[in-house]
Parts: sequence; structure tokens; C-alpha cells
Amino acid sequence: MSSDKRITLQQAAEIVKNGSSLTFSGFTIWRRPFAVIFELIRQQKRGLHLIEVNGGPQTEFLVGAGCVDIWESCWVGHELYGKYGANLSRKVGKKEILVEDYSHAEMLFRFTAAATGAPYAVTQTSLGTDIHNPEYDMLGRAGKRDGKRIAKHKYIFTEDPFYGAGAQILIPAAKVDVAILCVQQVGEEGTVRVGGQIYSDPEVARAADITIVMAEEIVPEEYLRRNADQNTITSFEVDHILECPFGAHPTGMFGKYDVDGAFLKDFYANTRTQEGFDAFAKEWIYGLDHIGFLEKLGWERMLNLRANTALNYRPRK
Amino acid sequence: MSNYALPEEYNLADLLCCASSREVQDNEIVFAGTGLPMVAIMLAQKTHAPNLKLIFEAGTLDGRPPELPTSVGDARCESGASRSSGLFDAFSIAQRGYVDLGFLGGAEVDQYGNLNTTCIGDYLNPELRLTGSGGNPDINSFAKRTVFIMVHEKRRFVEHVSYITSPGWRVKKWPGGEFVHRKELYGAAFRGGPSAVISTAGVFRFDDQDGHMYLDTCHPGKTPAEIKDLCQFDLDISRVAGETNPPTREELHIIHNVLDPDQIFIPKVKKA
Repeated sequence: MSSDKRITLQQAAEIVKNGSSLTFSGFTIWRRPFAVIFELIRQQKRGLHLIEVNGGPQTEFLVGAGCVDIWESCWVGHELYGKYGANLSRKVGKKEILVEDYSHAEMLFRFTAAATGAPYAVTQTSLGTDIHNPEYDMLGRAGKRDGKRIAKHKYIFTEDPFYGAGAQILIPAAKVDVAILCVQQVGEEGTVRVGGQIYSDPEVARAADITIVMAEEIVPEEYLRRNADQNTITSFEVDHILECPFGAHPTGMFGKYDVDGAFLKDFYANTRTQEGFDAFAKEWIYGLDHIGFLEKLGWERMLNLRANTALNYRPRK
Repeated sequence: MSNYALPEEYNLADLLCCASSREVQDNEIVFAGTGLPMVAIMLAQKTHAPNLKLIFEAGTLDGRPPELPTSVGDARCESGASRSSGLFDAFSIAQRGYVDLGFLGGAEVDQYGNLNTTCIGDYLNPELRLTGSGGNPDINSFAKRTVFIMVHEKRRFVEHVSYITSPGWRVKKWPGGEFVHRKELYGAAFRGGPSAVISTAGVFRFDDQDGHMYLDTCHPGKTPAEIKDLCQFDLDISRVAGETNPPTREELHIIHNVLDPDQIFIPKVKKA
């Protein structure tokens, strides 16, 4: 029982098929499942449909590598290490990718709806903006709204039928095939304990049909069950687990390591063009495995990212 | 407030930071974004608004970080917080109406405070795709007041933004797209809207009735006519109240020695 859920990095990436819809744990440049992202790129996945509460470096790597056909989200960039998503921007300009824009709260509520088994959510956010411009329903324009995995409508305008509170927007639940999470601890049976902000991890894990959890460490299930109130995601919501230290690098992980800002700056500066991306990927992704990647980064760099376990981050002084 | 710094003792980032900080009132619940606004809010917390409550979009509630976070997802956010949680809490608290003030910015703004952070040019054939909305429209929809921090260039203060990412005072009513006052659209969810723009040229506010932007104060050394010339729309300069107050020496000390000694967001004045 206890080892049933264990898989390898390679197997985790194999679960994602060409054309799968996919989402991740984390927030912008924190706790993104990079070891699996790199493996997806090595396996040359195609036609992926990313549905993200917010994007980040993981979006930029997958988009730059040509893995993604559709991106539904609200934001992409590298925070202070790169002000926008240059790879996505380039592919939007060349019409090599479909982008469906929602607001951040809308994306969160779409996942919350899916996580509660509801077909849609209702909200008052972003009224009056071009996010709700009927001309800008890009999946509709592309004829992809089949009402199966992609909703029949981008949104529906309605009025509050109960309290007369006025204009409301209905937004469809986010239906995703696979969620890949990157966390501090997972138990042998799948119980997840996230350290620090949980972002939208519980919602995306529950929304997805298949949930894969990559953790810094797999710990005895019994250890997590001693303090069940501190756990974040239930054992049976998790289908597969794997252990992968520094699996979030170059993004950061509360209590474990800070964001590798220099790496992200370097990526942002050098991947504005496709040639730049290809060269970066050749150097840092292709032909390496996770251990090879860490060896290339080197001890000094990794030790300088390590969090102080009392503070949960690496103090600047 | 007689301890104002001399022009050679501060730079534009200091001025923006202090002007932003002064928009915060004590006891308010403030939604923090990454960057200069975070320094501004923490400056307010250490000066005139010690009881403000800070919400980080990634899920920290009533945070009191001892060291400046580099983004709202940062592990530094939650030190000393009332709760460390997630986006569901941050956004449901905002939609519930708890948030008094949020700080935002954008690539373009129009005279009614509509912001664009999505694309330059036609959305269907963009000249440049930008970052996208993030939480910008959500904060602008939910908060009682929002303050925009903007680089002041003529190409950014426009008659019509390429794409309304975030709602100002006159917004589009769908499905037709005609412009209406936001009060008409938001109904029971109406709580307020953009209250100030702090640009690198001056401080702007919005008319109580029709929501158009007017110049409130000019930054030291700038004239109303110069600033009007930096807008593509016909800026109202009939209500100018004077000059933006410069930073005080106490504020500069807190910014550079306490909050951001490593100059992550606010560079120090270079000594001549």
C-alpha cells in the first residue's frame, strides 16, 4: 500500500499526454514543479492546454519549448527578475498560441468551482473591462468551445436572481486533466503538508482528474497523521507521489530555498528570441537529468539559496 | 512636517514612495502588490498608520514582515502574520468588501482611470503582448479606493487604452460595450474606485461626479502646463492645489536604512 503511489520523474511526465490540460501548484515564482517541467520539455510534449491561476517561469519554459497550444490564465512574468513573459508575447505576436484572458480572482474562482464539483462560479469582479468583451473570446473564435472539457461560453452575463444585487458574471469551472504540485512534504499514502502560503494548491489538486505531488521529501504517513490539523491535502486526493529535492528550482520554496533570481534574470534576458530560447534549453535542459542539472548549478549556488530553518527564508544579512 | 528633505537628498522613487505612503490611513486594510507599493505601505505602517492591516495577494493576511519581501508569494510575507493562507482567502475577503485600499499600476491609463496591462495595439493583432491582468481588475473592482503608481509618459496617459484590463470610473457595459459610470454597472457591489494616480510628474485625483482625472499637485520643479502636455487627453488643470510635499528626512531614513537597505526596489541617491 505505502509504496503504490511512488513514481519517477520520467513517469510523472509520461502521465501528461500530448493535448492534455495541465495546471500547477505555486504562485508566480514560488513552488513551481520545475523538475517535471524540464522532463516534459525533454519528452517534447505537444499541444498542451495550460490552465493556470497565474503563470510564471514554468509557463515561459513550456511555451518557449513549443509544448503549449492554449494558455488560459491572467498573468505571466518573473516578478522583479523579468517584467513580462517574453516567450508567450513572441508566440502571441506570431499567432502560434491561443491565449484566453481571465482576471486573477476569476481564475481562482474557476478552480474553486471545479474543486467543489460545481459547473460554474459567480462573481462581480472585472465588470466593465475588456476581459468580458464578447469579441475577445479566443477559444470561441477558434471553434474550440465543445462544452466537454472546454466550456460552451467564456462567461455568461446575468443578474442576481436572489437578492437583486445587480450584474453578475458566471464563469466556467476549470476542468483539467492533470495537476502537478511541488511541496515540502508528502506522506507515503499521499497526505500533503504545505509549509507557508498554500496559494491555490488545495483547489487545483481537488479540481484535477489526476494529481501528482512532487515533494522535497517523502515522509512516513504516520508522522503527518500525528498532527492532521496541519495537513493541506488529503491522502486520497493524490494519485502519484515522487521525491525530488530542489525540484522547484529556479523558483523558491518556503522553509527550503529562495528563488534563484540570477537564473531567472538570465533566462529572461536570453530568451527573447526563439534562437535564444533554444540555446538556453540546450544548455540547461536537453541532455541533462535532475542530478545533472543540480551538478551544473553547483554546490555554492545551491547553498547560497538555502533557507534558514528558523526564519523559513534566507536572510539578506 | 517641517523636516522636509532638500531636492538633492532624495530621488523620484523616494518621492513616489512617500506620496503613496501618505494615501494610506491608519486602521485601513490594504492590499499589497509587489515592488514600490510594498515599501510605501510598510513605510506608512512605520509612520502614521501603525494599525494598518496588510494583505498579500498570494494569501498572507495581516502580515508584518520583518524583512522586505521581493514578491507577494515570498516566504518573508508571512512572518508575524495573523494567518498564512492562500488565494481563496485573499480574494474572497476582497470580494466580501474588507479591503479599503489597493495599489496598482499599468502600461496605459485613460482619463477615467481605466488601466491596461494586457497588450499594446489591437488585442486580436497586438503590437506587444504584456503580462496580463493579474489581480489588477479584482482589486480595482473590490477595494473602496485604489491608487495607481505610473511612469509619466505621453504614450501612457492616453485618450483610449488599447484594452481595458482594470475598471476605472467610466467602463464598458457588455454585450454592447457602451461607456457607463461604474456605479451603474456594479450595483450593490459598488464600493468606490480609483482615487489617485501618483505619476513621476504629479498627483492626480478623480472628480466625484463624472470621474474624470484632474491634476492635484505637481511634483517639485514641474508646472501644470508641462504635465498637461504629457497627456494625450485634455487634462483638467483647473484645480491644482500646489506642489507635492517632498519626503521628510525621517521617511528617507526608514526607506533606506530600515525597509530597503539593499535597494531592491528603491535606489539610494548617488552622492555627487
